[in-house]
Amino acid sequence: MNALADILFGGLFQGSLYAMMAVGLALVWTTIGVFNFSHGVLMMLGAYFAWQLVDWGLAPALAFPIAVLLMAGVGWLLQATVVRPLIGRANLVLVVVITTLAAGSLIENGVLELWGPRSKQIPPLVAGNAMLGGVGVSLHQIAIIVVTPIILLALWLFLNRTRLGLALRAVAQNEDAACLVGLNVTMLYGLAFAIAASLAALAGIFLGGYRFMTPVMGADPLLKALIVVVFGGISSISGPIFAAYLIGFFEAICSYYFGLYWTPALLFAALILTLMIKPEGIFASRSRGLA
Amino acid sequence: MTNMLSVTGLTAGYGRVTVLHGIGIEAGKHGNVGLFGPNGHGKTTLLRAVSGLLKPKAGSIVFDGADITGESARSIVARGLVHVPQGNTLFPDLTIADCMSLGAFSPHARPHEAANKERVAALFPKLAERWRQRVRTLSGGERQMVSIGVALMSHPKLLILDEPTLGLAPKIKDELCKAVLDISKAGVPLIVVEQDVEFLLELTNHLYFINHGQVETEIKPGDSLAHSDIMAMYFGQ
Repeated sequence: MNALADILFGGLFQGSLYAMMAVGLALVWTTIGVFNFSHGVLMMLGAYFAWQLVDWGLAPALAFPIAVLLMAGVGWLLQATVVRPLIGRANLVLVVVITTLAAGSLIENGVLELWGPRSKQIPPLVAGNAMLGGVGVSLHQIAIIVVTPIILLALWLFLNRTRLGLALRAVAQNEDAACLVGLNVTMLYGLAFAIAASLAALAGIFLGGYRFMTPVMGADPLLKALIVVVFGGISSISGPIFAAYLIGFFEAICSYYFGLYWTPALLFAALILTLMIKPEGIFASRSRGLA
Repeated sequence: MTNMLSVTGLTAGYGRVTVLHGIGIEAGKHGNVGLFGPNGHGKTTLLRAVSGLLKPKAGSIVFDGADITGESARSIVARGLVHVPQGNTLFPDLTIADCMSLGAFSPHARPHEAANKERVAALFPKLAERWRQRVRTLSGGERQMVSIGVALMSHPKLLILDEPTLGLAPKIKDELCKAVLDISKAGVPLIVVEQDVEFLLELTNHLYFINHGQVETEIKPGDSLAHSDIMAMYFGQ
Protein backbone atom coordinates (compact mmCIF):
# COMPACT_ATOMS: atom_id res chain seq x y z
CA MET A 1 0.00 0.00 0.00
CA ASN A 2 2.83 2.28 0.94
CA ALA A 3 4.71 1.59 -2.30
CA LEU A 4 1.65 2.16 -4.43
CA ALA A 5 0.85 5.46 -2.76
CA ASP A 6 4.47 6.53 -3.07
CA ILE A 7 4.62 5.76 -6.78
CA LEU A 8 1.19 7.19 -7.51
CA PHE A 9 1.94 10.42 -5.72
CA GLY A 10 5.46 10.78 -7.11
CA GLY A 11 4.26 10.07 -10.64
CA LEU A 12 1.41 12.54 -10.49
CA PHE A 13 3.63 15.23 -9.00
CA GLN A 14 6.54 14.86 -11.42
CA GLY A 15 4.12 14.39 -14.32
CA SER A 16 2.37 17.65 -13.45
CA LEU A 17 5.63 19.58 -13.39
CA TYR A 18 6.82 18.07 -16.66
CA ALA A 19 3.48 18.68 -18.35
CA MET A 20 3.52 22.30 -17.23
CA MET A 21 6.98 22.79 -18.72
CA ALA A 22 6.54 20.75 -21.86
CA VAL A 23 3.20 22.17 -22.95
CA GLY A 24 4.66 25.65 -23.48
CA LEU A 25 7.50 24.24 -25.51
CA ALA A 26 5.02 22.21 -27.56
CA LEU A 27 2.76 25.22 -28.06
CA VAL A 28 5.59 27.26 -29.59
CA TRP A 29 6.63 24.33 -31.73
CA THR A 30 3.13 23.61 -33.05
CA THR A 31 2.30 27.25 -33.76
CA ILE A 32 5.60 28.73 -34.94
CA GLY A 33 7.59 25.61 -35.77
CA VAL A 34 10.64 26.49 -33.69
CA PHE A 35 12.12 25.16 -30.48
CA ASN A 36 12.48 27.77 -27.78
CA PHE A 37 15.69 26.91 -25.96
CA SER A 38 15.21 29.76 -23.53
CA HIS A 39 12.08 28.07 -22.14
CA GLY A 40 13.95 26.84 -19.05
CA VAL A 41 15.36 30.31 -18.44
CA LEU A 42 11.88 31.81 -18.76
CA MET A 43 10.76 29.40 -16.05
CA MET A 44 13.62 30.56 -13.83
CA LEU A 45 12.88 34.23 -14.51
CA GLY A 46 9.21 33.70 -13.63
CA ALA A 47 10.23 32.20 -10.29
CA TYR A 48 12.59 35.12 -9.60
CA PHE A 49 9.90 37.67 -10.47
CA ALA A 50 7.57 35.93 -8.02
CA TRP A 51 10.29 35.87 -5.36
CA GLN A 52 11.04 39.57 -5.82
CA LEU A 53 7.38 40.55 -5.60
CA VAL A 54 6.91 38.50 -2.44
CA ASP A 55 10.12 39.98 -1.05
CA TRP A 56 8.69 43.45 -1.62
CA GLY A 57 5.83 42.46 0.63
CA LEU A 58 3.15 41.40 -1.81
CA ALA A 59 0.90 38.53 -0.81
CA PRO A 60 1.68 35.37 -2.82
CA ALA A 61 -1.91 35.28 -4.08
CA LEU A 62 -1.20 38.63 -5.74
CA ALA A 63 2.49 38.22 -6.52
CA PHE A 64 2.16 34.94 -8.43
CA PRO A 65 -0.42 36.13 -10.99
CA ILE A 66 1.54 39.37 -11.51
CA ALA A 67 4.73 37.38 -12.12
CA VAL A 68 2.90 35.19 -14.63
CA LEU A 69 1.53 38.26 -16.45
CA LEU A 70 4.94 39.94 -16.48
CA MET A 71 6.38 36.80 -18.03
CA ALA A 72 3.73 36.90 -20.75
CA GLY A 73 5.20 40.31 -21.65
CA VAL A 74 8.73 38.93 -21.55
CA GLY A 75 7.67 36.07 -23.83
CA TRP A 76 6.14 38.53 -26.27
CA LEU A 77 9.28 40.66 -26.24
CA LEU A 78 11.52 37.64 -26.75
CA GLN A 79 9.47 36.61 -29.76
CA ALA A 80 9.59 40.09 -31.25
CA THR A 81 13.37 40.37 -30.86
CA VAL A 82 14.93 36.98 -31.51
CA VAL A 83 12.27 34.98 -33.40
CA ARG A 84 9.97 37.14 -35.50
CA PRO A 85 12.71 38.95 -37.50
CA LEU A 86 14.05 35.56 -38.62
CA ILE A 87 10.80 34.04 -39.85
CA GLY A 88 11.09 33.12 -43.50
CA ARG A 89 14.87 32.53 -43.39
CA ALA A 90 16.40 29.26 -44.44
CA ASN A 91 17.28 26.89 -41.57
CA LEU A 92 14.86 28.73 -39.30
CA VAL A 93 14.76 25.93 -36.72
CA LEU A 94 18.53 25.90 -36.23
CA VAL A 95 18.90 29.67 -36.27
CA VAL A 96 16.22 30.03 -33.61
CA VAL A 97 17.91 27.38 -31.45
CA ILE A 98 20.98 29.64 -31.44
CA THR A 99 19.15 32.94 -30.90
CA THR A 100 16.98 31.58 -28.08
CA LEU A 101 20.02 29.95 -26.45
CA ALA A 102 21.79 33.29 -26.68
CA ALA A 103 18.83 35.19 -25.23
CA GLY A 104 18.56 32.54 -22.49
CA SER A 105 22.20 32.90 -21.57
CA LEU A 106 21.83 36.67 -21.47
CA ILE A 107 18.82 36.46 -19.15
CA GLU A 108 20.48 33.83 -16.96
CA ASN A 109 23.57 35.96 -16.40
CA GLY A 110 21.42 39.04 -15.95
CA VAL A 111 19.57 37.30 -13.14
CA LEU A 112 22.86 36.19 -11.61
CA GLU A 113 24.10 39.78 -11.71
CA LEU A 114 20.88 41.25 -10.36
CA TRP A 115 19.85 38.74 -7.69
CA GLY A 116 23.13 36.98 -6.97
CA PRO A 117 23.97 33.30 -6.75
CA ARG A 118 22.51 32.67 -3.28
CA SER A 119 19.60 30.21 -3.38
CA LYS A 120 16.16 31.56 -2.71
CA GLN A 121 12.78 30.07 -2.00
CA ILE A 122 9.28 31.35 -2.60
CA PRO A 123 6.36 30.50 -0.34
CA PRO A 124 4.40 27.37 -1.24
CA LEU A 125 0.98 27.62 -2.90
CA VAL A 126 -0.52 26.03 0.22
CA ALA A 127 1.49 25.72 3.44
CA GLY A 128 1.45 22.60 5.57
CA ASN A 129 1.68 18.84 5.27
CA ALA A 130 -0.70 15.93 5.15
CA MET A 131 -0.65 12.13 5.40
CA LEU A 132 -1.97 10.38 2.34
CA GLY A 133 -2.18 6.59 2.20
CA GLY A 134 0.63 6.34 4.73
CA VAL A 135 2.88 8.79 2.89
CA GLY A 136 3.71 12.23 4.20
CA VAL A 137 3.21 14.88 1.51
CA SER A 138 3.19 18.65 1.42
CA LEU A 139 0.01 20.46 0.57
CA HIS A 140 2.03 22.48 -1.97
CA GLN A 141 2.59 19.32 -3.97
CA ILE A 142 -1.07 18.35 -3.69
CA ALA A 143 -2.00 21.82 -4.95
CA ILE A 144 0.27 21.37 -7.98
CA ILE A 145 -1.29 17.99 -8.75
CA VAL A 146 -4.77 19.54 -8.62
CA VAL A 147 -4.06 22.87 -10.35
CA THR A 148 -2.01 21.55 -13.29
CA PRO A 149 -4.76 19.48 -14.98
CA ILE A 150 -7.17 22.41 -14.63
CA ILE A 151 -4.76 24.77 -16.39
CA LEU A 152 -3.96 22.21 -19.08
CA LEU A 153 -7.64 21.59 -19.67
CA ALA A 154 -8.25 25.33 -19.94
CA LEU A 155 -5.43 25.58 -22.49
CA TRP A 156 -6.83 22.65 -24.45
CA LEU A 157 -10.30 24.18 -24.49
CA PHE A 158 -8.85 27.51 -25.61
CA LEU A 159 -6.96 25.90 -28.48
CA ASN A 160 -9.73 23.57 -29.60
CA ARG A 161 -12.96 25.36 -28.78
CA THR A 162 -12.31 29.04 -29.53
CA ARG A 163 -11.77 30.80 -32.81
CA LEU A 164 -8.61 32.50 -31.53
CA GLY A 165 -7.23 29.10 -30.52
CA LEU A 166 -8.07 27.77 -33.95
CA ALA A 167 -6.24 30.71 -35.52
CA LEU A 168 -3.24 29.93 -33.32
CA ARG A 169 -3.20 26.34 -34.54
CA ALA A 170 -3.58 27.43 -38.16
CA VAL A 171 -1.05 30.23 -38.44
CA ALA A 172 2.14 28.19 -38.73
CA GLN A 173 0.67 25.70 -41.16
CA ASN A 174 0.43 28.24 -43.95
CA GLU A 175 1.34 31.86 -43.36
CA ASP A 176 0.04 33.12 -46.72
CA ALA A 177 -3.31 31.40 -46.30
CA ALA A 178 -3.48 32.74 -42.74
CA CYS A 179 -3.00 36.31 -44.02
CA LEU A 180 -5.61 35.78 -46.72
CA VAL A 181 -8.35 34.86 -44.25
CA GLY A 182 -7.48 37.95 -42.22
CA LEU A 183 -5.42 36.52 -39.36
CA ASN A 184 -3.00 38.86 -37.62
CA VAL A 185 0.10 36.71 -37.95
CA THR A 186 2.39 38.97 -35.88
CA MET A 187 -0.11 39.08 -33.03
CA LEU A 188 -0.62 35.30 -33.07
CA TYR A 189 3.12 34.57 -32.94
CA GLY A 190 3.44 36.96 -30.01
CA LEU A 191 0.47 35.33 -28.29
CA ALA A 192 1.97 31.84 -28.63
CA PHE A 193 5.19 32.99 -26.96
CA ALA A 194 3.33 34.95 -24.30
CA ILE A 195 1.23 31.93 -23.31
CA ALA A 196 4.27 29.63 -23.35
CA ALA A 197 6.26 32.01 -21.14
CA SER A 198 3.35 32.31 -18.70
CA LEU A 199 3.12 28.54 -18.42
CA ALA A 200 6.88 28.39 -17.87
CA ALA A 201 6.61 31.02 -15.14
CA LEU A 202 3.89 28.99 -13.44
CA ALA A 203 6.12 25.92 -13.56
CA GLY A 204 8.89 28.03 -12.04
CA ILE A 205 6.62 29.16 -9.22
CA PHE A 206 5.62 25.53 -8.60
CA LEU A 207 9.27 24.47 -8.50
CA GLY A 208 10.47 27.43 -6.44
CA GLY A 209 7.90 26.59 -3.78
CA TYR A 210 9.49 23.32 -2.75
CA ARG A 211 13.06 23.49 -4.00
CA PHE A 212 15.73 26.16 -3.73
CA MET A 213 15.96 28.50 -6.68
CA THR A 214 19.18 29.35 -8.49
CA PRO A 215 19.77 31.14 -11.81
CA VAL A 216 20.48 27.77 -13.48
CA MET A 217 17.37 26.03 -12.13
CA GLY A 218 15.78 26.00 -15.59
CA ALA A 219 18.37 23.83 -17.32
CA ASP A 220 17.23 20.47 -16.04
CA PRO A 221 13.49 21.14 -16.55
CA LEU A 222 14.20 22.29 -20.12
CA LEU A 223 15.97 19.02 -20.83
CA LYS A 224 13.06 17.08 -19.34
CA ALA A 225 10.56 19.11 -21.32
CA LEU A 226 12.48 18.39 -24.53
CA ILE A 227 12.41 14.68 -23.73
CA VAL A 228 8.70 14.85 -23.01
CA VAL A 229 7.93 16.72 -26.23
CA VAL A 230 10.02 14.42 -28.42
CA PHE A 231 8.70 11.34 -26.62
CA GLY A 232 5.08 12.41 -26.92
CA GLY A 233 5.21 13.53 -30.52
CA ILE A 234 5.66 17.13 -31.52
CA SER A 235 2.62 17.58 -33.70
CA SER A 236 0.09 18.31 -30.99
CA ILE A 237 -0.49 19.65 -27.51
CA SER A 238 -2.15 16.57 -26.05
CA GLY A 239 0.72 14.21 -26.97
CA PRO A 240 3.27 15.90 -24.72
CA ILE A 241 0.74 16.15 -21.89
CA PHE A 242 0.14 12.40 -21.88
CA ALA A 243 3.87 11.79 -22.29
CA ALA A 244 4.66 14.05 -19.32
CA TYR A 245 2.52 11.96 -16.97
CA LEU A 246 3.83 8.74 -18.50
CA ILE A 247 7.41 9.83 -17.86
CA GLY A 248 6.46 11.05 -14.38
CA PHE A 249 5.15 7.59 -13.51
CA PHE A 250 8.07 5.88 -15.22
CA GLU A 251 10.48 7.87 -13.07
CA ALA A 252 8.49 7.24 -9.92
CA ILE A 253 8.52 3.49 -10.54
CA CYS A 254 12.20 3.45 -11.47
CA SER A 255 13.35 5.50 -8.52
CA TYR A 256 11.29 3.34 -6.15
CA TYR A 257 12.58 0.00 -7.40
CA PHE A 258 16.02 0.83 -8.87
CA GLY A 259 17.00 4.03 -7.09
CA LEU A 260 17.39 7.61 -8.12
CA TYR A 261 20.78 7.11 -9.78
CA TRP A 262 19.50 4.62 -12.31
CA THR A 263 16.42 6.60 -13.22
CA PRO A 264 17.87 8.96 -15.86
CA ALA A 265 19.70 6.13 -17.59
CA LEU A 266 16.58 3.95 -17.66
CA LEU A 267 14.52 6.89 -18.92
CA PHE A 268 16.88 7.52 -21.80
CA ALA A 269 17.00 3.80 -22.61
CA ALA A 270 13.19 3.77 -22.79
CA LEU A 271 13.24 6.95 -24.90
CA ILE A 272 15.75 5.57 -27.39
CA LEU A 273 13.86 2.30 -27.65
CA THR A 274 10.57 4.14 -28.24
CA LEU A 275 12.02 6.37 -30.91
CA MET A 276 13.55 3.38 -32.71
CA ILE A 277 10.14 1.74 -32.92
CA LYS A 278 8.05 4.87 -33.40
CA PRO A 279 10.21 7.82 -34.53
CA GLU A 280 7.33 10.27 -34.63
CA GLY A 281 6.67 9.85 -30.88
CA ILE A 282 4.21 7.60 -29.09
CA PHE A 283 1.14 9.80 -29.28
CA ALA A 284 1.85 11.44 -32.62
CA SER A 285 -0.56 9.35 -34.69
CA ARG A 286 -3.47 10.83 -32.75
CA SER A 287 -3.14 14.06 -34.63
CA ARG A 288 -2.47 12.70 -38.08
CA GLY A 289 -4.74 11.13 -40.65
CA LEU A 290 -8.48 11.16 -40.27
CA ALA A 291 -10.02 13.08 -37.43
CA MET B 1 -21.66 50.19 -62.06
CA THR B 2 -18.36 51.89 -61.33
CA ASN B 3 -15.04 50.20 -61.12
CA MET B 4 -14.64 48.15 -57.99
CA LEU B 5 -10.93 47.75 -58.44
CA SER B 6 -8.55 50.02 -60.30
CA VAL B 7 -4.88 49.19 -60.47
CA THR B 8 -2.71 51.87 -62.04
CA GLY B 9 0.99 51.97 -62.82
CA LEU B 10 1.74 49.09 -60.44
CA THR B 11 5.39 48.08 -60.08
CA ALA B 12 6.26 45.14 -57.88
CA GLY B 13 8.66 42.25 -57.60
CA TYR B 14 10.72 40.07 -55.31
CA GLY B 15 13.94 41.50 -53.92
CA ARG B 16 15.84 43.15 -56.74
CA VAL B 17 13.82 41.42 -59.45
CA THR B 18 10.99 43.53 -60.79
CA VAL B 19 8.14 41.46 -62.18
CA LEU B 20 5.44 44.04 -62.80
CA HIS B 21 6.35 47.11 -64.84
CA GLY B 22 3.63 49.69 -64.33
CA ILE B 23 0.69 47.39 -64.92
CA GLY B 24 -2.90 48.64 -64.85
CA ILE B 25 -6.24 46.80 -64.82
CA GLU B 26 -9.84 47.67 -64.07
CA ALA B 27 -12.35 45.24 -62.64
CA GLY B 28 -15.96 45.23 -61.59
CA LYS B 29 -17.33 47.48 -64.35
CA HIS B 30 -18.32 44.85 -66.83
CA GLY B 31 -18.71 41.90 -64.49
CA ASN B 32 -15.96 39.35 -64.42
CA VAL B 33 -12.39 39.89 -65.54
CA GLY B 34 -10.10 37.24 -66.97
CA LEU B 35 -6.31 37.36 -66.94
CA PHE B 36 -4.28 35.17 -69.20
CA GLY B 37 -0.84 34.94 -70.65
CA PRO B 38 2.29 32.84 -70.44
CA ASN B 39 3.58 31.59 -67.10
CA GLY B 40 6.13 33.70 -65.25
CA HIS B 41 4.96 37.04 -66.62
CA GLY B 42 3.33 38.52 -63.56
CA LYS B 43 -0.27 37.30 -63.24
CA THR B 44 0.20 35.77 -59.82
CA THR B 45 2.47 38.63 -58.70
CA LEU B 46 -0.23 41.11 -59.68
CA LEU B 47 -2.83 39.25 -57.62
CA ARG B 48 -0.46 38.95 -54.63
CA ALA B 49 0.13 42.71 -54.74
CA VAL B 50 -3.60 43.40 -54.97
CA SER B 51 -4.42 41.22 -51.94
CA GLY B 52 -1.63 42.66 -49.82
CA LEU B 53 0.68 39.65 -49.69
CA LEU B 54 3.31 41.64 -51.57
CA LYS B 55 4.09 45.32 -51.01
CA PRO B 56 4.14 47.19 -54.32
CA LYS B 57 7.12 49.43 -55.14
CA ALA B 58 5.08 52.00 -57.03
CA GLY B 59 1.61 52.59 -58.39
CA SER B 60 -1.77 52.55 -56.74
CA ILE B 61 -4.57 50.12 -56.00
CA VAL B 62 -8.04 51.49 -55.33
CA PHE B 63 -10.78 49.15 -54.15
CA ASP B 64 -14.37 50.13 -53.48
CA GLY B 65 -13.47 53.82 -53.41
CA ALA B 66 -10.56 53.51 -50.98
CA ASP B 67 -6.83 53.53 -51.67
CA ILE B 68 -5.55 50.18 -50.41
CA THR B 69 -1.99 50.43 -51.74
CA GLY B 70 0.38 48.92 -49.19
CA GLU B 71 -2.35 47.91 -46.74
CA SER B 72 -1.98 44.62 -44.87
CA ALA B 73 -3.64 41.51 -46.27
CA ARG B 74 -5.77 41.41 -43.13
CA SER B 75 -7.40 44.79 -43.70
CA ILE B 76 -7.84 44.10 -47.40
CA VAL B 77 -9.77 40.91 -46.60
CA ALA B 78 -11.86 42.92 -44.15
CA ARG B 79 -12.81 45.22 -47.04
CA GLY B 80 -14.23 42.27 -48.94
CA LEU B 81 -11.45 41.73 -51.48
CA VAL B 82 -10.74 38.03 -51.16
CA HIS B 83 -7.94 36.10 -52.87
CA VAL B 84 -7.79 32.35 -53.50
CA PRO B 85 -4.11 31.76 -54.26
CA GLN B 86 -2.81 29.30 -56.80
CA GLY B 87 -2.44 25.72 -55.54
CA ASN B 88 -3.50 26.71 -52.04
CA THR B 89 -2.48 23.99 -49.58
CA LEU B 90 -4.54 25.64 -46.84
CA PHE B 91 -4.06 24.26 -43.33
CA PRO B 92 -3.19 20.57 -43.70
CA ASP B 93 -3.89 19.55 -40.11
CA LEU B 94 -7.20 21.33 -39.74
CA THR B 95 -10.59 19.91 -40.66
CA ILE B 96 -12.76 21.37 -43.41
CA ALA B 97 -15.08 22.76 -40.74
CA ASP B 98 -12.12 24.45 -39.00
CA CYS B 99 -11.03 26.04 -42.28
CA MET B 100 -14.54 27.35 -42.86
CA SER B 101 -14.70 28.99 -39.45
CA LEU B 102 -11.28 30.56 -40.10
CA GLY B 103 -12.69 31.91 -43.34
CA ALA B 104 -15.20 33.84 -41.27
CA PHE B 105 -12.46 35.28 -39.02
CA SER B 106 -12.80 38.83 -40.32
CA PRO B 107 -15.27 40.83 -38.22
CA HIS B 108 -17.27 41.83 -41.31
CA ALA B 109 -17.81 38.15 -42.22
CA ARG B 110 -18.95 36.96 -38.77
CA PRO B 111 -22.62 37.99 -39.05
CA HIS B 112 -22.94 36.09 -42.34
CA GLU B 113 -21.19 32.94 -41.13
CA ALA B 114 -24.18 30.62 -40.93
CA ALA B 115 -25.63 31.77 -44.26
CA ASN B 116 -22.28 31.49 -46.01
CA LYS B 117 -21.73 28.03 -44.60
CA GLU B 118 -25.02 26.87 -46.11
CA ARG B 119 -24.03 28.48 -49.38
CA VAL B 120 -20.72 26.57 -49.44
CA ALA B 121 -22.45 23.31 -48.54
CA ALA B 122 -24.97 23.81 -51.36
CA LEU B 123 -22.23 24.70 -53.82
CA PHE B 124 -19.96 21.76 -52.89
CA PRO B 125 -22.12 18.89 -51.61
CA LYS B 126 -18.97 16.77 -51.65
CA LEU B 127 -17.47 18.85 -48.84
CA ALA B 128 -20.63 18.88 -46.77
CA GLU B 129 -20.37 15.09 -46.51
CA ARG B 130 -16.92 15.22 -44.92
CA TRP B 131 -16.95 18.32 -42.78
CA ARG B 132 -14.78 16.66 -40.09
CA GLN B 133 -12.08 15.42 -42.47
CA ARG B 134 -8.57 16.89 -42.40
CA VAL B 135 -7.41 18.95 -45.35
CA ARG B 136 -4.25 16.89 -45.87
CA THR B 137 -6.36 13.84 -46.71
CA LEU B 138 -8.25 15.58 -49.54
CA SER B 139 -7.56 15.33 -53.25
CA GLY B 140 -6.31 18.35 -55.18
CA GLY B 141 -9.78 19.13 -56.51
CA GLU B 142 -11.42 18.82 -53.12
CA ARG B 143 -8.75 21.07 -51.61
CA GLN B 144 -9.47 23.65 -54.30
CA MET B 145 -13.16 23.44 -53.36
CA VAL B 146 -12.25 24.06 -49.72
CA SER B 147 -10.09 27.02 -50.79
CA ILE B 148 -12.97 28.59 -52.67
CA GLY B 149 -15.33 27.72 -49.83
CA VAL B 150 -13.06 29.46 -47.30
CA ALA B 151 -12.98 32.53 -49.57
CA LEU B 152 -16.79 32.58 -49.70
CA MET B 153 -16.86 32.40 -45.91
CA SER B 154 -14.93 35.70 -45.96
CA HIS B 155 -18.01 37.26 -47.57
CA PRO B 156 -16.31 38.66 -50.69
CA LYS B 157 -17.40 41.73 -52.61
CA LEU B 158 -14.83 40.82 -55.23
CA LEU B 159 -13.29 37.37 -55.50
CA ILE B 160 -9.87 36.64 -57.01
CA LEU B 161 -9.30 33.10 -58.27
CA ASP B 162 -5.77 32.19 -59.32
CA GLU B 163 -5.84 29.16 -61.62
CA PRO B 164 -8.73 27.38 -59.89
CA THR B 165 -8.60 24.37 -62.19
CA LEU B 166 -4.81 23.91 -62.40
CA GLY B 167 -3.82 20.27 -62.64
CA LEU B 168 -7.24 18.80 -61.99
CA ALA B 169 -8.83 15.74 -63.57
CA PRO B 170 -11.47 16.62 -66.22
CA LYS B 171 -14.45 15.42 -64.19
CA ILE B 172 -13.63 17.39 -61.05
CA LYS B 173 -12.58 20.33 -63.19
CA ASP B 174 -16.06 20.47 -64.74
CA GLU B 175 -17.54 20.43 -61.27
CA LEU B 176 -15.34 23.37 -60.22
CA CYS B 177 -16.07 25.36 -63.36
CA LYS B 178 -19.77 24.95 -62.71
CA ALA B 179 -19.34 26.09 -59.11
CA VAL B 180 -17.36 29.15 -60.21
CA LEU B 181 -20.09 30.03 -62.71
CA ASP B 182 -22.69 29.63 -59.95
CA ILE B 183 -20.75 31.99 -57.67
CA SER B 184 -20.60 34.52 -60.48
CA LYS B 185 -24.34 34.17 -61.18
CA ALA B 186 -25.04 34.77 -57.51
CA GLY B 187 -23.63 38.26 -58.02
CA VAL B 188 -20.01 38.07 -56.83
CA PRO B 189 -17.73 39.68 -59.42
CA LEU B 190 -14.60 37.68 -60.17
CA ILE B 191 -11.04 38.16 -61.31
CA VAL B 192 -9.89 34.85 -62.72
CA VAL B 193 -6.51 33.67 -63.94
CA GLU B 194 -7.05 30.60 -66.06
CA GLN B 195 -5.22 28.63 -68.73
CA ASP B 196 -8.43 27.07 -70.05
CA VAL B 197 -9.48 29.68 -72.58
CA GLU B 198 -12.89 28.15 -73.23
CA PHE B 199 -13.79 28.32 -69.55
CA LEU B 200 -12.48 31.87 -69.40
CA LEU B 201 -14.65 32.90 -72.38
CA GLU B 202 -17.69 31.28 -70.82
CA LEU B 203 -17.08 33.28 -67.66
CA THR B 204 -16.27 36.69 -69.05
CA ASN B 205 -15.75 38.82 -72.13
CA HIS B 206 -13.38 41.27 -70.47
CA LEU B 207 -9.87 39.92 -70.74
CA TYR B 208 -6.34 41.09 -70.18
CA PHE B 209 -3.43 39.46 -71.93
CA ILE B 210 -0.44 39.89 -69.60
CA ASN B 211 3.05 39.59 -70.97
CA HIS B 212 6.40 40.78 -69.57
CA GLY B 213 4.74 42.29 -66.52
CA GLN B 214 2.47 44.55 -68.52
CA VAL B 215 -0.94 44.45 -70.15
CA GLU B 216 -0.19 43.68 -73.76
CA THR B 217 -3.77 43.55 -74.97
CA GLU B 218 -7.08 44.39 -73.36
CA ILE B 219 -10.14 42.74 -74.81
CA LYS B 220 -13.21 44.73 -73.80
CA PRO B 221 -16.77 43.46 -73.92
CA GLY B 222 -18.12 43.94 -77.42
CA ASP B 223 -14.74 43.46 -79.04
CA SER B 224 -14.97 40.66 -81.49
CA LEU B 225 -12.68 37.87 -80.62
CA ALA B 226 -12.35 34.27 -81.42
CA HIS B 227 -10.74 31.38 -79.69
CA SER B 228 -8.13 31.38 -82.40
CA ASP B 229 -7.18 35.01 -81.67
CA ILE B 230 -6.40 34.15 -78.10
CA MET B 231 -4.46 31.11 -79.14
CA ALA B 232 -2.47 33.36 -81.46
CA MET B 233 -1.63 35.67 -78.53
CA TYR B 234 -0.48 32.75 -76.44
CA PHE B 235 1.71 31.15 -79.00
CA GLY B 236 2.57 34.04 -81.32
CA GLN B 237 1.74 34.15 -84.95
